[in-house]
Amino acid sequence: MATVMTPSAVGRTFRGSGLDRALPYLMLGPTLFLVLGVIVYPLIDGLRSSTGFFRFGRLVRSVGLDNYSRAFADPAFIDALLTTARFVFLVVTIETVLGLALALLVSREGRFIRRIRATLILPMIITPVVVGIVFRLIYASDVGLLASIAHAVGLDPPQILSSGTGAFWGLVVLDVWEWTPLLFLILLAGIQSMPVEPFEAARVDGASAWRSFVDHTLPLLRPTILVAVTLRAIEALTTFDQVYVLTRGGPGTSTQLISIYGYQTFFQFQETGYAAAMLFMVALVVLLAAGFAVGLMRRRGR
Amino acid sequence: MTRYGLGRLAWVAAALAAILFALTPLVWMVLTSLKSNREITQETSLVPESLTSANYVSLFSGREFGAYLTNSIVVTTLSVAIALILGTQAAYVLARFRLWGGMQRYVGFSLLMVRLLPPVVIIIPIFLVAQQFGLLNTQLSLIVVYATFNVTIVVWMMESFFREIPVDLEEAAMVDGDTRFTAFRRIVLPLAAPGLVATGIFAVITTYNEFLFALVLTSTPAAETMPVGAATLIGRINVDWGAMSAAGVIGALPIVVFSIFVQKHLVRGLTMGAVK
Repeated sequence: MATVMTPSAVGRTFRGSGLDRALPYLMLGPTLFLVLGVIVYPLIDGLRSSTGFFRFGRLVRSVGLDNYSRAFADPAFIDALLTTARFVFLVVTIETVLGLALALLVSREGRFIRRIRATLILPMIITPVVVGIVFRLIYASDVGLLASIAHAVGLDPPQILSSGTGAFWGLVVLDVWEWTPLLFLILLAGIQSMPVEPFEAARVDGASAWRSFVDHTLPLLRPTILVAVTLRAIEALTTFDQVYVLTRGGPGTSTQLISIYGYQTFFQFQETGYAAAMLFMVALVVLLAAGFAVGLMRRRGR
Repeated sequence: MTRYGLGRLAWVAAALAAILFALTPLVWMVLTSLKSNREITQETSLVPESLTSANYVSLFSGREFGAYLTNSIVVTTLSVAIALILGTQAAYVLARFRLWGGMQRYVGFSLLMVRLLPPVVIIIPIFLVAQQFGLLNTQLSLIVVYATFNVTIVVWMMESFFREIPVDLEEAAMVDGDTRFTAFRRIVLPLAAPGLVATGIFAVITTYNEFLFALVLTSTPAAETMPVGAATLIGRINVDWGAMSAAGVIGALPIVVFSIFVQKHLVRGLTMGAVK
């Protein structure tokens, strides 16, 4: 991969005419301009507002780092962090296990298997807002799918979205339904790119399928699993759309993830500075995890 | 039953369970959308007794779903097109050139980090800046924001594609009188077409599905996209289950149709978008 950019090729590039010399900068310029203008500038501007005190959305005075220290004295913030951590841990674990099982199940080739695969990835294509709607239609205590099934077999309808525990687990199931396909796809790609020799050797030696899975599949797949888990954790950490539609963080604060709390702090309570400070702390965690993921991917790419 | 037969049975059962788990929720939404509200609330039947299209008609006559659909298509198409045009050029530069001070390496890394930055951590700053420039509730603000996030995806995915194309081909074209840029356009881009398709598919799906930016930056059907339209509708109606499920079906339909249309390249696009 890296050998493509040979010294001679680079040399020839720089011996081109004046226009050719400016070309790389002309071709890269618009992209850099967009990223600087739409992401970097707002981020710096936002860092400034995170040190301010706002009233009715207007900057009143600068308060230094007070917004940051305030977060750690805010029970709602701590509560949202804990809920988020619990949510991320649960969904990433369940999705990795299920995704791996599914990938092993359909890793062979064949037209029928390709059909199955295409069906299994449907949930991750569906618009997240619609996924929220789908699960409201399942959980609704009077007309939902679960209530209808319970009705058909003569049971009391389950109350899912009206209790804290029920709503939290309802959200976990939603996320597992929606994002197991992503883990499945990544791990499937990993399994299909594994060398076949160790498995043939194991079969010749008479090793059981389970032994060959533990001894060969898992170790070979470890880097892929690590990348997939990190990427999924980053996204799960900032889950928003589905909660917004399904529960808006309730009942109480049982499904109030950090993204929902930050959003409400800004748009309902108009506490611009405090909300910005909270979300910057989340951003820091995300960037650290992202740096970790990128490092992993680069190492794997070599 | 032989061991082989038992294993095969278990395989079929597991595959069937997975497919049922994936499809049942969607089938239920579609079934609900075809029932009348009287049937939904009173019968609690699993299968509709009489089909009605009333829920769908109400979305387009009484409400603004036509406008949401148009906004979504305009915003998605333009932002992905801009991102593909600008991003492929940037990716080509990062794959082929050595820039001043070895800058190409830092640029690639920084764009990757931006790609992984979730919307919610940057939504407040972007809202404040859009407000300063008077861009709130315009299609333009969404196009610019989506184009920027998409361009980072395009650079990320296309850079490795360009690296895998032998540099000799461009050199041969340049010896034959092409400039560097025409060699890029005539020789390299066609060879990278499979990558462009996969990238485009991934970008279209993520852009159409995006909710938070659209929720925050728009406020009327003049600029609201489909996910925002569906979410605000169900926020207002709460018990109109028929309309809610129809809104869900209509909201997801464009992207499902698109996915069926590009299904041959879909799995590759999604996998690459996730890890490449």
